[in-house]
Amino acid sequence: MSDQRQAWFARMMESGLEHDIFAPSDVLAHATPDVLATHLPPELLSKVLSASLAAGSMTPERVLETVTPDLLAKHLPHEVLWACIAAAAARAGVTGASSPEAS
Amino acid sequence: MNLKGFFVASLSSALDLGIATPDDVVRYITPEVLAEHLPRPLWARLLTACLGAPRVDAQLVVETIGVPNLCEHVPSKIVWACLAEVGARSLGGALPVAVPRPISTVGLGSKPIPLATPPPPDVLPPPATPSKTPLPSVLGGAIPAPGTAGAASASGTASAAGAASAEIADVVAALEADDRQSSPGGRARSASQRFRQSSTGIGRLAGNQRRPQAQAGAPTEPSPIVPSAAAPVAPRGRRSGTEADVDEHVQTDDKDDWQSALAVEDEQLVDWQASEETVTTGDEYNRRK
Repeated sequence: MSDQRQAWFARMMESGLEHDIFAPSDVLAHATPDVLATHLPPELLSKVLSASLAAGSMTPERVLETVTPDLLAKHLPHEVLWACIAAAAARAGVTGASSPEAS
Repeated sequence: MNLKGFFVASLSSALDLGIATPDDVVRYITPEVLAEHLPRPLWARLLTACLGAPRVDAQLVVETIGVPNLCEHVPSKIVWACLAEVGARSLGGALPVAVPRPISTVGLGSKPIPLATPPPPDVLPPPATPSKTPLPSVLGGAIPAPGTAGAASASGTASAAGAASAEIADVVAALEADDRQSSPGGRARSASQRFRQSSTGIGRLAGNQRRPQAQAGAPTEPSPIVPSAAAPVAPRGRRSGTEADVDEHVQTDDKDDWQSALAVEDEQLVDWQASEETVTTGDEYNRRK
């Protein structure tokens, strides 16, 4: 089930970025540098730094070009990703529906 | 912002991956929600599918309508509520277990599955009774009888020889009948034993109708026949030495003595004019009759 959940979160992150539900900056607002530094493997951190050095700057977009949604779902806690998604849904105004048990 | 596209991707992937189940979807997107928001053509499709399906369940509803249509027509808040529950359950550890569709075992029961090839029976069936119809002979009509092939390939002399053979055959039959009448207790000698075709010219007239003879091998040591008491001809088998035996032995032993061996005795000749057996017409025949 962990693999399926990882794939699902990866798909949701990809779709959210694709459909502008949230922006890379929104992702990095939850996947802070501390989270990235804590959970990303050394080779991936090295690659992020190398790409930024080559481009001359480090932006959220460039970080997510290296740390793809698959890698996000693979290395970051899913609660962090879900918080990003839930915050985007709240901004879209779709979080007001009640649960079927409540109704 | 394409919120519905995001919902479609999220909900579809959740269903495909087993994170969510159709029951989760229908629990939020209830029939009342569908009745309020789903277009009539989609309702017609849903009703058609339900009427034709043996079982109507949440999976049939979701698959018939389709996730894109659901996310398109159902309010986003409801879809998000569904996604939120799935996500919360996924993160909380209370993950739904995708229950595979049970395999129908109707008809299988406890009967053993028959093998493709049944095992041989314990008791062998009795052998088939031989057919009463005679089996076709190997030497059938395709193989000509001795002499017929030569007669068939011969020219006009063959037909003349055949006619002569028929006449001679009639004579031989009459002689045999007479022989049986004259010697009722003794062993009847057939006319073919009494007559030698080589001396009577029957074989010549009959073409290739020769009596089959065993092929005599070349003797390693010539053994001339000495008809003396010191070296009598040993009788063969249980039969006593007969004239025919001596003749056959001579024929196969020495080629030079064939003339003397094939000499016809007077008693073996038949006087065709004076023979009683051959008289079938005339005054004498009528008188005797």
